[in-house]
Amino acid sequence: MSGEPPEMPEMTADDALAMDYALGALDRPSRRNVETRLRSDPAFRALVEAWQASLAPLDEATAPVAPPADLWERIAAETAPPAPVRAAAPAPSPGGFWQSLAVWRGLALAGSIAAVVAIAGVAPRGPVAPAAAPPQLLVASLAASDGTPLLSATYDPLRGSVALAPATAADHRGRSPELWVIVDGQPPKSLGLIDIDGANAHAIPAERLQGLKPGATLAISIEPQGGSPTGLPTGPVVATGKLVAI
Amino acid sequence: MTAGAAPASTLAALLARAAAGDQAAFRDFYDRTSAKLFGIILRILVERGEAEDVLQEVYVTIWRKAAEFDPARASPITWGATIARNRAIDRLRARAVRPTSPVEAAYDLADDSPSAEAVLVAAGEAARVNAVLATLEPAHAAAIRACYFEGLTYEALSQRDNVPVGTLKSWVRRGLVKLRQQLEAAA
Repeated sequence: MSGEPPEMPEMTADDALAMDYALGALDRPSRRNVETRLRSDPAFRALVEAWQASLAPLDEATAPVAPPADLWERIAAETAPPAPVRAAAPAPSPGGFWQSLAVWRGLALAGSIAAVVAIAGVAPRGPVAPAAAPPQLLVASLAASDGTPLLSATYDPLRGSVALAPATAADHRGRSPELWVIVDGQPPKSLGLIDIDGANAHAIPAERLQGLKPGATLAISIEPQGGSPTGLPTGPVVATGKLVAI
Repeated sequence: MTAGAAPASTLAALLARAAAGDQAAFRDFYDRTSAKLFGIILRILVERGEAEDVLQEVYVTIWRKAAEFDPARASPITWGATIARNRAIDRLRARAVRPTSPVEAAYDLADDSPSAEAVLVAAGEAARVNAVLATLEPAHAAAIRACYFEGLTYEALSQRDNVPVGTLKSWVRRGLVKLRQQLEAAA
């Protein structure tokens, strides 16, 4: 520690970055870079977690504020298993899911603009007993208009969340990708801002999941920071496709 | 009631049950932690409706990631608070501009904090952290608080307080290195 400049204590660059991230002082692109690294670099993650633990006692100074009473209901609606939709969907034949998966992958690689949704019932046990209905995964591949696969999405009904995984790197710094669903020619409804720069899961409000069904169109537009100011897509549409049940 | 009323072991057990799909346990976890997390989010986002949306996202995330919680790496409340802070900061960064308060307000906020903290002086770690912060130059401690509690970037704080970014970084870094040294010495 000798010979360090008085203005800046000696730290490794990684430790300084971990500190800045834990403190919350980084800008958006830097945060994204850190979060990408956290997924693959356990040593760096340990540095970040050490700083988070050091700073956590500061939170004791923050007065608790009771959230509104109805907020739990909103959370419960998103975390409870939704009513089964399997009855409305054609039961997949045995092995159909994997065939379908191969199909949509193939379509994506072939440059199709279609977003294909595979409805996978895991070993259907019969048409009744909805309480014991197996979870259905919805898988979609979204491609750009030039056919470049952009990202895949997996909807887990038990969690009420959609996991997004980018197929290609994209640079949308300073802009906000927003996911839309268009049903029967109605105006697009926002499914919220999404992160297409790294694999992540995106919680979609439960009431909007009803639009995620065969025949609907999914689209991603690039909006100003914070999302579309009008409630409708205003920026370039970078990916689109029709949902098709297989 | 503070988070101190909910032992880490209790919260960890509730998270484990939530990971197994037990929504009643998850409700219990929410009841014990949501006021603390909402307080953290509100300091960063200020606007109440937006903070409520983020709190909702945070608990959906906690439910989804409950199985990933590792008590060896963080306490349950620190884990949840980290998710809350990160979600709130992400939302803040997604906004074009944040309503900024003048530098005087920042110092007022810093001055307010010790009294709020005094209520919780029984919490040993918090007391130690604040004791260390109290030994720093007031401007240095204020910079740390502005970043941590308000989610400001160095750049935003630089513009708000008219202090060069490099100077702010050195203030914060020196303060936090000192903080960690003191905490390690006390451990």
